[in-house]
Amino acid sequence: MISIEDGPLLRVRNAVKVYGPTRALSGVTLTVHAGEVLGIVGHNGAGKSTLMRVLSGLETIDAGSVEIGGITTPARTGYPGVRMAYQEGSLALELSVSENIYLSSTAWMPRWRWRGVAARQTATRLQEIFPRNAIKPSDYVDDLPIADRQRVEIARATITNDLRLLILDEPTESLSGSAVDQLYDYVRKLRARGVAIILVSHRLREILSVSDRVAVMKDGDIVSVHDAADSTERDLFMAMGGEVAVSGTRGGAARRDMDGAHPVAVRIPMMTLDGEPADIFAHKGEVIGLAGIAGQGQEEVLSRLWRANRGDVDVGADLAYVPGDRQRSGILPLWDVAANLSITALPSLARRGIRQFDKEHELVTRWVDMLKVRGGARAAITALSGGNQQKVIVARAFASEAAVILLDDPFRGVDVHTKASLYQLIRSEAANGRTIVWYSSENSEMQHCDRAYVLRASRIAGELHGAEITDERIISLSFAESRETAA
Amino acid sequence: MNATSPALTMGGLPKGSARRILPGLLTLLAMMLILIVCGTIQPRIWSQGGMTLIMSPIVALAIATMAQMVLMSIGDIDLSIGFFVGMVTTIVATFMRETPLMGVLALAACVLAYAMIGALVQLREVPSLIATLGASFIWLGVGLFILPVPGGLAPDWLFQYAMWRPPFSIPVPIVTMVFATAITWLFMQRTRLGARFRSLGSNPTALARTGASLLLTRMLAYATTGFLGVLAGVTLTAEIGGGDVNAVPGYTLTTIAAVILGGGMFTGGRSVAWGALFGAVTLGLMTVLLTLLNLSSNLQPAVQGSIVIAVLAGRLVVERLTR
Repeated sequence: MISIEDGPLLRVRNAVKVYGPTRALSGVTLTVHAGEVLGIVGHNGAGKSTLMRVLSGLETIDAGSVEIGGITTPARTGYPGVRMAYQEGSLALELSVSENIYLSSTAWMPRWRWRGVAARQTATRLQEIFPRNAIKPSDYVDDLPIADRQRVEIARATITNDLRLLILDEPTESLSGSAVDQLYDYVRKLRARGVAIILVSHRLREILSVSDRVAVMKDGDIVSVHDAADSTERDLFMAMGGEVAVSGTRGGAARRDMDGAHPVAVRIPMMTLDGEPADIFAHKGEVIGLAGIAGQGQEEVLSRLWRANRGDVDVGADLAYVPGDRQRSGILPLWDVAANLSITALPSLARRGIRQFDKEHELVTRWVDMLKVRGGARAAITALSGGNQQKVIVARAFASEAAVILLDDPFRGVDVHTKASLYQLIRSEAANGRTIVWYSSENSEMQHCDRAYVLRASRIAGELHGAEITDERIISLSFAESRETAA
Repeated sequence: MNATSPALTMGGLPKGSARRILPGLLTLLAMMLILIVCGTIQPRIWSQGGMTLIMSPIVALAIATMAQMVLMSIGDIDLSIGFFVGMVTTIVATFMRETPLMGVLALAACVLAYAMIGALVQLREVPSLIATLGASFIWLGVGLFILPVPGGLAPDWLFQYAMWRPPFSIPVPIVTMVFATAITWLFMQRTRLGARFRSLGSNPTALARTGASLLLTRMLAYATTGFLGVLAGVTLTAEIGGGDVNAVPGYTLTTIAAVILGGGMFTGGRSVAWGALFGAVTLGLMTVLLTLLNLSSNLQPAVQGSIVIAVLAGRLVVERLTR
């Protein structure tokens, strides 16, 4: 019963945040009252995470105002009473659970002899939110499974004396069914105590069931706010840009599917959810999707293919790999676009080990023109926007002679236009006989595949063909297991 | 490396602690083994005098290893510790004897200089290897400026400490080493700052999100390293009796090896005070062992290097098996 004032706890007016050429926030206006759960949905790049970073005090805005509990400029530790549970990355893996919690809640812990206090608080809070969990405060985080790390992350955010606004950023992405229910029970408990909660999630059904209002973000702005009680998932979908509607250019998908004439290019033995052996396979010229909740073994499949050294996978051809994390494993920052683009193709372009610059030039020009890489072949790769860098990395893989291309969620944070042209490229390369194995964390991307396997806990939860590949089908298959166990 | 079978039952231990304890434990075993071998060849090392004799050259190494361990816990590596310890001996053997106040100020300035290197690493994103490599030449230059040739004399109180015979025939070097290690361990495990150091090494983003200043944390970590480096220099002065900037350039790499032996990691985040102590003593005793085996002690660096590579390779195998 904290709220004594009548006004809202949080008031954002015309907030603008610009990163270089991109307007991450373009005039967001938003209010949240004490004792209210506000859901925020939006596609990748809609500005959700930027807004959350602003609210937690990690970023300052370029224009507009943010007022939380009467305070307009955050201290170094953020606005008082505002805590955020991050999706990932705010735990130090080498430290124990209670040490992590101690560091993020030092203000409420004793200066000396804190270990016992931190351990007790950790255990109590974890037990309060997630009854019957198996986490010990003295466990080291790097040995905890992802779901437990997420539990710790959430508990960490709630350990404070004056919680007024709790921000949950995709809290359920790596939690299983019962833990999700436990979390939302706790959210309702906090709401009853007068705490305001902002819940960011891609899970529309969840967000509708737990929120009072749902704000839909698109292109850095809040496009609409819905009353959760009388809105449907479809309303939210439509507000986000109606991406439920399929473009309808997938005539070829179903056709190739039954085409037995194409030889199998790739085969990986897996298991179904029930523990029966099954294969993930791809015919020559097929686009195969790996879908499901992020981190359920999709990247494992790609790395098994890429290494192909255990002899358990059949890969009859050369592979090329497009990494998702372009900063870490993608670009060669000191080289220009041309050199970045042609590196995998170099051996095939060389004659007796000597480079042939005219052929390289020809290849680079062709790809730069085809994908309209802004800046051209001579530009420094680091001068390019993320989307254009990603074009170069994708082009690098396709410019090689590899018959099988592995895509490791490469289009995260890439703008719509770039995506559209890359999807087109994937389809046309497949038509030319290349096989593509594509992991994407964005379900709507999977509609560009001929077939998609939905993975759950490193097992195959289901296989979808052509027009069956929809968000809804993927989501329902993603939770196949948890439903069984819940029933 | 045959004792690393995963048959050890770690049921009640917190998740992940076995991987952290095991390397230090193995190094402890290796240390015992070397002591037993040495003792079999030359039983007189088991007396208070004998133990003092073989352990006293290791004291400064052990404390310098603590310094290296602190820096490695934040994910950095100190390539200057050898010349730094040498430079400190020149300060202790000159200023500390003649003008103690000047000496203390000079040593405080050394600690401050370390903090400045930390600021440089954090603000300019200079790799710590480069920054400390550069610093090592500064230490060498300053040391040569103070004492162009080895000389000077340690203050009397240092000699008295070295001559002290503790009760129960406990050798002084062991007292000093265990004390320094215990303090470092307490600091790294039980204080807020120690936890912040480890967090900085493990995940700087996480530390930043807790509201702590990365700059301040890194500067304090470097200052702690500098402080422990000064302590190592003081004990080394007691051991060699004077000052010599070129006394122990080999410490730089030996301390890194000792931390790795004790379970530390190049990537940071792990603090292994006791393991690092065992590592330092093991490597220090290597000279004794080689001498007792009538092998040239010039072989020591080669033996050391082989051990470190074997340990790192072995640990990789163990990690792969236990994960």
